[in-house]
Amino acid sequence: MTGHVSLSREAVARLTANTEPWLSCDDCFDQVDAAVEALLGSTVPLAEGFRAHLLGCAACHEEAQSLAALVAEHHDLTAADAVARLDAAVGA
Amino acid sequence: MDSLMVEYRHPIDSRDDGLFLDAEWIPRLSATGRAHEVAVRRLHELMLRAARHQVARMPDAAGLGAARRDEIVHSAADAATVSVLSRLSAFEGRSRFTTWAYKFAILHAGVEVRRAAWRDREIDLSDVPEQRDSDMSSPETYAEVRELAEAVREGIAEALTAHQRRVTIALLVDEVPIDVLAERLNTSRGALYKTLHDSRQRLRAFLSERGFMSARGPKEVNP
Ligand SMILES: [Zn+2]
Repeated sequence: MTGHVSLSREAVARLTANTEPWLSCDDCFDQVDAAVEALLGSTVPLAEGFRAHLLGCAACHEEAQSLAALVAEHHDLTAADAVARLDAAVGA
Repeated sequence: MDSLMVEYRHPIDSRDDGLFLDAEWIPRLSATGRAHEVAVRRLHELMLRAARHQVARMPDAAGLGAARRDEIVHSAADAATVSVLSRLSAFEGRSRFTTWAYKFAILHAGVEVRRAAWRDREIDLSDVPEQRDSDMSSPETYAEVRELAEAVREGIAEALTAHQRRVTIALLVDEVPIDVLAERLNTSRGALYKTLHDSRQRLRAFLSERGFMSARGPKEVNP
């Protein structure tokens, strides 16, 4: 702990992310199918708790991206476009 | 899953070969006898597709080798099939049935890949962030971010409990996957995420008292 210890810019962003309002991983899992379909099929924004959870939880975020990519074709989107739309909504 | 695997070998009537409409899944899976067997086989195929998709997306899976990846795909599909069948009554129709079912295979495959990729890796549960180079784009940015980073480091040392420090550094600095840390600490993803959430609240309060935080976050580190 001596001298200038530099956390990477990305680590600082992860450490200081605002993950309010609280949503648990279990609640995120419960909501992810409906949330991803709503996001890809409409212009309704993500619920704030769900958005904050994906911003703060790398594993749930990765799985939501994967689900968006998998169902993209139902919404006439490419997998990459579906993931990009999710990431834009999360603010990641 | 052995009993399921035996059932999958039954020949399928030609009338069952078409795709199920989304509304047909629950009644078919809830049926008995042959209709149920056919529906479970279809569900397992769906879970294989989603597990394969998930494994193919994960950079961590690349180093596992084709045979291990295939094992994970099948193991995750088997586990997801069981998960879906045991939770049919929880499906509320808020999404397509297939979207709802896919998430179980994605979860199982994701957890298995993360754990397999880290199987032989030591995790150093440090409570001090290691020194490392930062990729700052300009001297001004470097100074701003370094100042914030040092305040964050102080916050980690002063505002967090020892447990919060270890979990937070492992997950957010060293980027240990949360499912891997949960397995090593004999806890769950949800419990570790709660620890992270509390740590972030404490860090943000610590930084706010020192004038670093805006309402949405430290603007210095936002893209
Ligand atoms: Zn989560």
